[in-house]
Amino acid sequence: MFAEFKHTLRKLRGQIIGWSIGLGLYALMMARLFDSIAEIEGFSELINSYPEDLMAMFGINDMALITTPKGFLDIYYFGYMAIIIGIFAVGVGAGLLVGDEEKGILDLVLSYPVSRVKLFLGRLLGLVTATGMVMILSWLSWVLSSIGTGLDLTLIEFLRPFIPLFAVLLFLGTFTTLLSLFLPSTRVAGMLSGGLLIANFLLIGLSNINENLEAFVKFTPLYYYQGGDAIDNINWEWFVGLLAVTAVFSILALWRFQRREIRVGGEGSWELSSLRLRLRLRQSKEA
Amino acid sequence: MTARFAIKTHGLIKNYGKVQALRGLDLEVRQGEIFGFLGPNGAGKTTTIRCMLDLIRPNGGTLRVMGYDPQEDPVSVRSLVGYLPGEVSMESNLRVESQYRYLSDLRGNKIDWNFVRELAHRLELDMTLPIKNLSKGNKQKVGVVQALMSRPKLLLMDEPTSGLDPLMQQEVYKLLREAKADGTTTFFSSHIITEVEAIADRVAIIRKGVIVEEAEPSQLLSMEMRRIHVRFKEPVNPSLLDQVDGISLLSQRNGLFVTLQVEGEMDGIIKALAAFPVVDIDVDKPTLEEIFLAYYAADDKETS
Repeated sequence: MFAEFKHTLRKLRGQIIGWSIGLGLYALMMARLFDSIAEIEGFSELINSYPEDLMAMFGINDMALITTPKGFLDIYYFGYMAIIIGIFAVGVGAGLLVGDEEKGILDLVLSYPVSRVKLFLGRLLGLVTATGMVMILSWLSWVLSSIGTGLDLTLIEFLRPFIPLFAVLLFLGTFTTLLSLFLPSTRVAGMLSGGLLIANFLLIGLSNINENLEAFVKFTPLYYYQGGDAIDNINWEWFVGLLAVTAVFSILALWRFQRREIRVGGEGSWELSSLRLRLRLRQSKEA
Repeated sequence: MTARFAIKTHGLIKNYGKVQALRGLDLEVRQGEIFGFLGPNGAGKTTTIRCMLDLIRPNGGTLRVMGYDPQEDPVSVRSLVGYLPGEVSMESNLRVESQYRYLSDLRGNKIDWNFVRELAHRLELDMTLPIKNLSKGNKQKVGVVQALMSRPKLLLMDEPTSGLDPLMQQEVYKLLREAKADGTTTFFSSHIITEVEAIADRVAIIRKGVIVEEAEPSQLLSMEMRRIHVRFKEPVNPSLLDQVDGISLLSQRNGLFVTLQVEGEMDGIIKALAAFPVVDIDVDKPTLEEIFLAYYAADDKETS
């Protein structure tokens, strides 16, 4: 298991470094922006001129908060980071097992004395660790970037919003891994998962201006993502809830992986295709 | 666990949806032998090997590899096996040595690195190169070395010399013979007859998911199968000869020159030819390749 964990981390090191550098540079730029934002002439008037519904759609209830560290981080960073870093989680999740299967690598790896359970757990642990590393490096980049600026938050206050973000990313990663084990390719799994993530983000926005959607969005993961609100306090119930669903996805993915045939070119099939074939056969028999 | 047979299958069935890849495969590979598994593309060679490693699961029949059931105890099977896939795919960004270190980790670091270096040297493989920079032939060498490097009890090789030049092919044959001398069983699939003739102790021919022949290469060659070239004095209707039991018409030109394949005793063909004005008869024994092709020609005939 440790060999697979080590290998997964080695494979993901480029992504970990790339994402961390990108997010670090963004943090550096935004931290410098914070002090100047309140001083921009006419900025408050401009913000206040936006329609309330439009602002509500982006989860902004009080634009005056933009000049506070918490409001600034919520609006300019954590409000949409689940989408941005979500791309990382979706990509890693999609390729975790099936990516290597499509390349034919799994065919060789699984001829070595490693059980499917250990291979799965090693790679899952790699995903969790890689995501955690991106979170820690992003947190550090905010801590360092805020030095000498008005973002006077404590280390813990900076850290708190990364914890629910971490839970959402694990949710997305394991969900995409699970999808990839049922769908015909990593690309389809990634596209579907990414599409659902964006749809969820938009739906959350729409639910802020349409109360009828409130009941529906409760069944979506981003509803339980706190964003910048976690700077003050983490909703541990939501956090544990997201991790619990993540665990369920992981167990289902492991179950599926253990029963699944390792495909190579020309072999295997999409389960839904064979389901459709079975339905067609049943219909023709009935006819 | 010791077993008389390194591989034993009985009635092995594997379906891909409606396609029957294996239709009751019976196979026995003895410990310590080099066993050639001969068949054209799509005959079920790779499917058989992948079932042995629990990469895919059979739909019926029994399968034992080194005494273990791969579905019940895949890790025990794999701990004894070195596998070379038909198409060698590895992490393209890794260097060859890093790839071997990863694979060695999966075996619990029980690899003799001097032996790995010796194998690489003999196959003229540079272990410092990234895999993405290697040619097809060199990638095949990487695969051959990784299959051999743990000195496995059983080698499963899917077309071991694919993409290698003739010199390297000979070196791989030599390595397999040396592994045999150390007690390793080798089961390899191929559609290259000369390869099977060169190294296999025994050979099985697979056709459409069933074994149609299993013997030593020399036995196959000495089978009572002959090819007869007949020159007639005047044109004859060769289809009359094709109707005789054990005789099949391979080719004919103007009814004057006819090539026939005869299975079994020559009595039938001699009596059949007696009815025609024969100028010359030439009899030869076919190569393993021709025997192999004859199985498929017979199959086509049955199908049509």
